[in-house]
Amino acid sequence: MKRGFAFAVILVVTAVSIVALAARVGEAAPNFTATDSNGKAHSLSSYRGKFVVLEWHNQGCPYTKKHYDSGNMERLQKEWTHKGVIWLTVISSAPGTQGYVTAEEENEYLRRMKAAPTGALLDPTGDLGHLYGAKTTPHMFIINPDGVLIYDGAIDDKPTSDQADIPTSRNYVSLALSEAMAGKPVGTPTSRPYGCSVKYAH
Amino acid sequence: MRAAGALVESSGKGGGPNKPNQYASASIPGGLTVSFSVDLCRAQPARKPIALAVLLLSMAAGVCADERAVSIPHGTVDLLSEQQSIQPGRALLLGLHFRLEKGWHIYWVNPGDSGEPPRLEWRLPAGLRAGAIEWPAPGRLPIPPLVDYGYGGEVLLPVRIETTAALAAGGAATLAAEMKAVVCREVCIPAKAHLSLSLPVRAERPRESAETLALFTTARKALPKPAPSSWRPTARDLGDNFELSVHTSQTISQAWFAPLDPLVIENAAPQKTASTKAGFRLILKKSDQLLKPISRLHGVLVLPEGAYLIDAPVAPSPVRRPKEEQ
Repeated sequence: MKRGFAFAVILVVTAVSIVALAARVGEAAPNFTATDSNGKAHSLSSYRGKFVVLEWHNQGCPYTKKHYDSGNMERLQKEWTHKGVIWLTVISSAPGTQGYVTAEEENEYLRRMKAAPTGALLDPTGDLGHLYGAKTTPHMFIINPDGVLIYDGAIDDKPTSDQADIPTSRNYVSLALSEAMAGKPVGTPTSRPYGCSVKYAH
Repeated sequence: MRAAGALVESSGKGGGPNKPNQYASASIPGGLTVSFSVDLCRAQPARKPIALAVLLLSMAAGVCADERAVSIPHGTVDLLSEQQSIQPGRALLLGLHFRLEKGWHIYWVNPGDSGEPPRLEWRLPAGLRAGAIEWPAPGRLPIPPLVDYGYGGEVLLPVRIETTAALAAGGAATLAAEMKAVVCREVCIPAKAHLSLSLPVRAERPRESAETLALFTTARKALPKPAPSSWRPTARDLGDNFELSVHTSQTISQAWFAPLDPLVIENAAPQKTASTKAGFRLILKKSDQLLKPISRLHGVLVLPEGAYLIDAPVAPSPVRRPKEEQ
């Protein structure tokens, strides 16, 4: 009986925490633990004190290609990880869908593209994607050193798949990181993420 | 031949495997010229007068209706005119005409959770000025857990072309545009096309093009109409939702709202309709990305009998938005 009550309490607490988990700018970013393509586990909570960028990724999506084939995403990864930012690429494509990769295939891709994220998280169940409400590839999130979500949206202000638009675009991720690191409020904390739909399992 | 009697050409660039790259030209008595893609039309360039006559007849009969369409991935696109000529001082309607394979779609001006609307970059002669694309009411395209807004199958997106004082009668005007879009099913493929259309500029009142009349009539019907003023649309901020009330003074069993602005509502959230004495109410879940109050709710209300433009004032939240952890 007592055990049954305790179980009920746990159920209620779980239900409440699931409601509280929705990622919303200005609120605590939901914690997660996920494994990267080298088998290393990454927990958001272990990165307290650092800025964390989450980048939803699908190597077959034309919008992802825009930013990788141009070298734009790799440049951003190098620039910001050199400044101490944790950059996690997340692949939520389900097996059999566009962008799904094995760990080996992802490592080969990272080498070929000279990509430099802190890690590429493999999320074939889509759990991490659903936890953050990731909609598109790319879809970018930034978490500040206090664990608060400070940006949720597009990589930049030119919602096209055309590489030619990159030089004249305003990069929302760089702007938000620069502002937050300077102790300023983020001028554009949300924007419509643009790209391909994340290929979740159905 | 869609814009019959007009000077017409089109060419493909960066299209799919069926890229039309062969053209044939035929002169019509009276100095007009038509060009068409051999690939799509399956007709051979005609050299003998009889063959030419047969070809022209078959085109006039619409056998070769889409000869000008440019191949894009999983479909075609072409630029059509509602009328056969341009009259200085009178606006005309062009249409960006898509035909897509089953299952593939393009997007509305607010594409929803993913995708991108078609774009046109016009190259117009002096005296002509293009307006923005006029967007027909979109379909709701579920891609669980997302919802997009767009069009499958065949759709014509009208664009109004204004004439200015610089346009003089005589000769022909070539209206060209670079089209960029993305064509999607589960996956998305970028599409580009160079489109152009030449129309004679004449002092007399233009005649409608019989070939395109039906398409433009359908397109006009699909454009959202301004909501009748008696409907008095209003919205309330309920914290996590917006409540949109419309006084249609008739029972509405089915309605959904497509927002013109992104980041206002959760596109994929079910929209609950409730009948009221004066009309109906629609409950719309706020977007998680909406961080500030809004003063207007702006979008298209899609009802079984048609679509209406809604621009509703939003009354502020009666209570503070409850925090999630409370």
